[in-house]
Amino acid sequence: MRIEIAAPMPGTVAEILVDIGDKVEIDDELVVIEAMKMEIPVCSTTKGTIYDIRVKLKDKIETDQVLVVLE
Amino acid sequence: MKFEHLLDELVSKRRKALDQGGPDKIQKQHEKGRLTARERIDRLLDKDSLFEFGMLACSDRPGMEEKTPADGIVTGFGMINGRQVGIIANDFTVLASSNSRVYSKKAKYIREQVVEKGLPLVWLGESGGGRLPDLQGARGIATLAGEGGSDRWIFSQYSHSRETPWTIGIMGPGNGVPMWQACLSDFVVQVKGSTLSVSGARALQKSIAATYTDEDMGGWKIHAEHTGITDKVAEDEEDCFRIIKTFLDYMPSNNTELPPRSSVSEGSGETMDSILDILPEKRTRAYNMYKIIRAVADIDSIFDLKESFGKTLITCLARIDGYVVGFVANQPMVNGGAMDTAALEKMMSFLCLCDSFNIPLIFLHDTPGFLVGREAELKKVGAKVTNALHALAQVSVPKISIIIRKSYGQASANMCGPGTGPDFVVSWPTGEAGFLDPEAAADVVYGALPDEERHNLTQEMLKDSSMYPLAQEYFIHDVIDPRQTRKYICNTLRLIRKSKTRGIGKHFLANWPTKF
Repeated sequence: MRIEIAAPMPGTVAEILVDIGDKVEIDDELVVIEAMKMEIPVCSTTKGTIYDIRVKLKDKIETDQVLVVLE
Repeated sequence: MKFEHLLDELVSKRRKALDQGGPDKIQKQHEKGRLTARERIDRLLDKDSLFEFGMLACSDRPGMEEKTPADGIVTGFGMINGRQVGIIANDFTVLASSNSRVYSKKAKYIREQVVEKGLPLVWLGESGGGRLPDLQGARGIATLAGEGGSDRWIFSQYSHSRETPWTIGIMGPGNGVPMWQACLSDFVVQVKGSTLSVSGARALQKSIAATYTDEDMGGWKIHAEHTGITDKVAEDEEDCFRIIKTFLDYMPSNNTELPPRSSVSEGSGETMDSILDILPEKRTRAYNMYKIIRAVADIDSIFDLKESFGKTLITCLARIDGYVVGFVANQPMVNGGAMDTAALEKMMSFLCLCDSFNIPLIFLHDTPGFLVGREAELKKVGAKVTNALHALAQVSVPKISIIIRKSYGQASANMCGPGTGPDFVVSWPTGEAGFLDPEAAADVVYGALPDEERHNLTQEMLKDSSMYPLAQEYFIHDVIDPRQTRKYICNTLRLIRKSKTRGIGKHFLANWPTKF
């Protein structure tokens, strides 16, 4: 099963903390979004393996845009 | 046997009531994946504890007596985990549990009795709305809530002064009475697949040619995420009963009592030493406030309310050292913890709950301020901020205020910061205070200066945000090591329980509007 992790708010991708193939646990930080002068980590909602990363550093992103796909 | 005929008649009438709307209607209910009112009561209450009232009641419309067992609503008292509660369950198999006069008399009796006897109320709601033609016409509307006339019957259906905790589970379609009751209740659970709306879609399709479905108007997502009327969403009916029971474990039976104290789960507080790992060193980096609450509270004791509504703020019940507490905590993970109008509404609702039922409040600050802008103004942010402060001013249960990180401007006051009467107020060494977040303040004051100069002056401003001057002038009581947070709260709770009032409040918010 694949699970998409989406951006909770618009902003800019400030950090990407995982690589494809990495194993992650619930609450692990995946991507950091910069918005409203804050750096907001987007965390994994499930245990799994990173299948795809759909953004790159400095990308402008919108709410609900998929950032990472887990498997 | 003596009186055999009379006793047989009684048995037969009782059996008729237990048959509810008959096998066909019961089958239909089951086909929808739903239980009947009596099955629900059996699963919710302790075994065989139902003490039923009004079993032989029926419609007062001539010719309808046989078709309306219990008049479509099962009412009485019973036990949940050994504690007495009032129970009302809509019986959808009888005329879709539409409300009419006798139904209203039965509901009124239980509503009044739970208040008089100081018992929680559990309502299991499922209704198609008002009963027609019973309520049609001049006489119908005059008797909408029961007997009508110059009495005050209608208020028994539309008021709640929070003397005892009222809960409702929305089990299926909830039009009319279940909606009103949900809006009066202290705690609302919605089962997935149920709907809660003033009017059903079918009626609207006919009257205004609307094309929405019941789900569009009152599905669980609508009320859990958009209106905030629903406090918890249940996966199914069993889950709903479990949630209601759990909620009641946090509640006293009435406002003159303290919530029951539980034993402390083993291992509680053991992760306090790693609490520093949760808070990022960088002040602009967000973190999940739930992790802080989980570390401080007793293990597995967090019971979130309105989790998916106004997510910039967390309102949850929990236990510390076995005592029930209510957390009001900013959530930096959502909008950096800047509170929006939904968060303020959620806060007001929670203040009312905790003030009414003698639950000490713990405020955890990490907010740069309110989420402002044109959209916020259109949502009356000014009015919501003022209302929330007005509510806070009337809270009479103990308030413990802990500044974790940011505590800026008006938002600091709304979070029960210095000057708003916290009984206990401390900061972590990471705490910051000021009129505005220094980054934003620097934009205002030094906006015209070159970047480097502005950066240096911002850093100066940041130093000025330290909490030590507040501790020195005793605006706050102390600056504590974050690892001592649980211990600090335990000390305050012990002090509260040994005080003259034991933490029982004056309930000034009892008559605050039950929804926002």
